Amino acid sequence: MSRRGNLPPGPLAARFRGGWPAAGIGLLLLFPLSSPDVFFLDVFTTGFLLAAFAASWDVVGGVSGQITLGHALPFGAAAYACALLTTLAGWPLPLAVAAAILLAAAVGTGIGALSARLAGPFVALLTLALGEIAHEAAVGNTFFSGPEGYAWGGEGGIPMTLPWRDALPFLSYYAALVFLCLSSFGMLRFSHSGAGLILRAVAGSPITAQASGVPIARFKRLAFAVGSAFAGAAGAGFVIHMGRATATDLSLELSFQAATFAAVGGRGTIVGPVVAALVLHVLFQGMSLSPSTRVLLYSMTLLVTLRFFPGGVVGTARDLASRLGGKEGTRAPGGRVRNRDGSRTP
Amino acid sequence: MLLDGLFAGGTYALMAAGMALILGVVKVINLSHGAFFTLGAYVAYALAERGVETPLAAAPLAAVIAFAFGVFLGKSFINPARKHPFALPVGTLACALLFEQAAQGIWGPHPLSIESGDPWIGPGGLVIRRWGVIAFLSSAALLGGLRWILSARPGLPLRLIAEDEEIAGSLGMDVEAIRYLTFGGACAMAAAAGALLAPSAAVTPMIGRAPLLLSLVVVIVAGMDSVAAIFLLSIGLGIFGNACAWFLSPQWSYVSLLVAVCLLLSARPAGIVVLACRRDG
Repeated sequence: MSRRGNLPPGPLAARFRGGWPAAGIGLLLLFPLSSPDVFFLDVFTTGFLLAAFAASWDVVGGVSGQITLGHALPFGAAAYACALLTTLAGWPLPLAVAAAILLAAAVGTGIGALSARLAGPFVALLTLALGEIAHEAAVGNTFFSGPEGYAWGGEGGIPMTLPWRDALPFLSYYAALVFLCLSSFGMLRFSHSGAGLILRAVAGSPITAQASGVPIARFKRLAFAVGSAFAGAAGAGFVIHMGRATATDLSLELSFQAATFAAVGGRGTIVGPVVAALVLHVLFQGMSLSPSTRVLLYSMTLLVTLRFFPGGVVGTARDLASRLGGKEGTRAPGGRVRNRDGSRTP
Repeated sequence: MLLDGLFAGGTYALMAAGMALILGVVKVINLSHGAFFTLGAYVAYALAERGVETPLAAAPLAAVIAFAFGVFLGKSFINPARKHPFALPVGTLACALLFEQAAQGIWGPHPLSIESGDPWIGPGGLVIRRWGVIAFLSSAALLGGLRWILSARPGLPLRLIAEDEEIAGSLGMDVEAIRYLTFGGACAMAAAAGALLAPSAAVTPMIGRAPLLLSLVVVIVAGMDSVAAIFLLSIGLGIFGNACAWFLSPQWSYVSLLVAVCLLLSARPAGIVVLACRRDG
């Protein structure tokens, strides 16, 4: 998939690259034709949207190294914008989606501008606080009475008006799959573009990047804007699929899930978070666990990953592959993957 | 209302001092600090359900339990991941969510309340709640003890590690062990605060989030040096939070704390780092 990977792949890795994603997409395309239960189609559809969301987290948190814990903010903002614009203002769906994505990008630029001067954990703190403010606002406010006269907002959320009645499950499935493929392709292209490389440099060592003449603040804003725009697109897709924007779309748990997927899959790889999101979501959701049990399992998975596989699945696989191929250098001495801020873990 | 705020703020100071201790010695922002507050509150609830209704019994028990968890967490996760800029915020947040969900699984998501005994009627019809007096006095005592320990000989290793770890290590101090013990101790302080404050509010799995933010605000503004500054600022914020809850609605005090964190971070981008550097330099 990524022909222009920034790390020189080992021979083994090179042999397997590109083939596996294609095979995965093929299998996912075949899946609905095996006439599965509608429940599983729905689980996968949600999974595709969450995977796109996880990948968009990776643009900000992985590629650019800005650990955001409020990534649900652009996601939820876009979801709410979609619902409000179609139902209340009566905009046509495509226009509302476009506006929602623009709004998400603007929100992201704002977050980026606020956090550009902050370092390390303070970015996480600030984004967490911003996300929680939005969540509280969404939970607490019953906006105004809707066309039918009852109060909206609050816990119940805001309904979405769609031009169709009931979407066929397999159509939603394919639409979400196509969206996931297109958006992750876009994000991969971005992360390997010139701007993406500069962002990786900023993530690696802001001081070095600044010394090389990179306007750091601008590129951080760019990272947040791009990541948030994709998150907004995922949010718009999510609200279209769910038919209702709720406060859960803005919750800390959702932001945390995205970070978990990225950590488990391997930060900065885009493909890793997508795969991790799909596997974990389908596994946990497919078992019909309650939301709180799922969050419990996610946090446990995350802690185990952080403790024992700091590079995530893709990072560990890459290490293995390059070790098998007799290459050194993706790991710092001491067995830990290089830190994003350039400092080395003892 | 003012008195309630004063009592609550005094107890929050205990938690904020724990946060400052972790920040100073372990040099970590602990997002799971609120979880230990929640733990303490639930311990108090569970004891009260079994007939032991004084926070004086609940606080030590909660502190011991939290110390055990804190040492485990500090030793097995915080210390190895200490310098990792991604693992720490996300990992400690994971711990917090893990505990919130576990609490929800054990005690359910509904708010629980504790019988706090009859309030005393003071001069002029002033209602003084008993839990408040106990909580305020015991946290003031604990903070006083902490201040004494830090300034006296037993606190020397802590101050030295906060100042310069390498020198501490070269003097033969077991820096790693002191780190996770400090972490455990600070978690115990948060849990004790939780147990002391449990009668004042409905106990829910999310109860620890607002105190966590309050401690963050306190630590950013007051720094880590002075226990007294932390104490005074916490009281101020406690009164402010109660006023918000009184005049607007309870969730406003949470939102205003969130806004305060945002404003503080944008106004002082270097945040706590400035203080840390001043110490190093």
